[in-house]
Amino acid sequence: MKRHDQVRIGCGSGFWGDAPDPAFELLEHGKLDYLGFDYLAELTMALLQRLRAKDPEAGYVEDAVQTMVDMAPLARRVGTRLVSNGGGVHPRAGADAIAQRLAAKGERGVRIGTVVGDDLLGRLDELVAGGVPLANSATGSADLASIRSRIVCANAYLGSEGIVEALAQDADIVITGRVADSAVFVGPILAHLGVGYDDPDLVAAAITAGHIAECSSGCTGGMSSRFDEMEAMGRVGFPILEFARDGRCVVTKLPGTGGRVDAFTVKEHLVYEIGDPRGYPVPDGVADFTSVRLQEVGADRVEVSGVRGRPRPDQLKVLIGYADGWIGEGLLMFPWPRALARAQKARATLLERFDRLGLRADAVEFSFVGVNALHGPAAPMPERDDANEVGLRVAVRTRSRDEADKVRRACSQLWIMGPGGTSFGVPMKPRPIVSLWPTFVPRDLVPHRVEMVTS
Amino acid sequence: MTRRLADIADVRSGDKGDNVSIGVLARRPEDYGAMLAALDPARVRALFGDWVRGHVEVHPMPNIDGALVLLVGGLGGGATSTLRFDQTAKALGNAILRLPVG
Repeated sequence: MKRHDQVRIGCGSGFWGDAPDPAFELLEHGKLDYLGFDYLAELTMALLQRLRAKDPEAGYVEDAVQTMVDMAPLARRVGTRLVSNGGGVHPRAGADAIAQRLAAKGERGVRIGTVVGDDLLGRLDELVAGGVPLANSATGSADLASIRSRIVCANAYLGSEGIVEALAQDADIVITGRVADSAVFVGPILAHLGVGYDDPDLVAAAITAGHIAECSSGCTGGMSSRFDEMEAMGRVGFPILEFARDGRCVVTKLPGTGGRVDAFTVKEHLVYEIGDPRGYPVPDGVADFTSVRLQEVGADRVEVSGVRGRPRPDQLKVLIGYADGWIGEGLLMFPWPRALARAQKARATLLERFDRLGLRADAVEFSFVGVNALHGPAAPMPERDDANEVGLRVAVRTRSRDEADKVRRACSQLWIMGPGGTSFGVPMKPRPIVSLWPTFVPRDLVPHRVEMVTS
Repeated sequence: MTRRLADIADVRSGDKGDNVSIGVLARRPEDYGAMLAALDPARVRALFGDWVRGHVEVHPMPNIDGALVLLVGGLGGGATSTLRFDQTAKALGNAILRLPVG
């Protein structure tokens, strides 16, 4: 691949369910070299494994595959390559689906690169037998056997190497399984500049840029504390990164789109969902966010520079998901006057119903919507019971679906035995819990592979 | 009248496993010191009571007049298993803005 001095890359999706129209605007008007898409959240992998268990050809993010199909013709014309992690737990099937649907549209010759190797569901026993303890890094527990029969998914977070390789093999579209969110940006950046992983500062700069862009409008006014200053958020522009060989990166968006890019919106996302900012670790390297300099260099243009980094870790993070019981929940709403007193009486009545129904629960949590549902103990109780309305929310963790369903039944029974004014909306069905077992595995035990199909 | 962190800072929060990540940003550089002083780990811990099972870390980010507060074991088991309505702690971080500023 030719070495370039700058790369222009947009973010087309920050999660499965994100708005598609800003991504199409970026593709049409962004003059992009690449468009990167993140679709995977922690729970997504468990959900996709369930789909694949029912249908061996499923397991990818359907919306991701269809978006690639819809975009591919225009992407070819404008010279933009598409990189996503929408392969979920079955990237190969996702790539095949893209190829088949493109061929059916008469779009032939599109090269689709697949990165696989992250899925460890079938390799856990082999890893343990080989001496990898897979101990829970949050709790310290080394007793994987206690959850072994309930495991529903196990994926390593891969870095961007497979993406770089697929792009070097002239992929028009790259679709991966679980890679670090930032990897769908780091991969194209490094591939386009023609650099490897041996300059920790440059890699850290790419990681930082990827982190800023990976949640789409998260850096262009979405989720902002200054929400009342953000215009036309329903037409928000998704971010564009202009990343230069010296590691400087300008974050911007298309003219005429909603939202804003300024030092504050970029700061807001820099601090989003991180741990110690001095060492943000991803498989490609470790970025020091306390070294980042931000400077507004034009309208909706912020330059990110000065990023320092450390070499990539030897261990890859792995998330193992396992079935861990059920949640039953309910919500009842109560009117003025004395709305809180009504909600408190309903709570006492519900506890009596739980007792009569013989509910066996591992945990029960009540909160008063309008008072403390969001901030819990940090929220002061009101001095006067004078709110227009107050809700009572209950959530219960149980071992079985039937136990969880008792919460729905008890809440329904309050429709008449509850306080005057009890209103109830639509009862909620029990939902299964997939708990997560975070762990680590040596990088060299998780080789990735790149496969290529052509439509 | 007592000033609170809400008068000088903004917040963005979210989940990181069972930990809650709270980015706090001073609105004006001159308030960065007061903001950092208000973010005493023991006071943060006391504010959230039994909603935080582990310890509290406060990491200064002087380059952006900000700080990263980490509530270890603060999400009731993590986004996929917590019983809270705010499963990913998008709203929880705002509570820190109640802390008094000296």
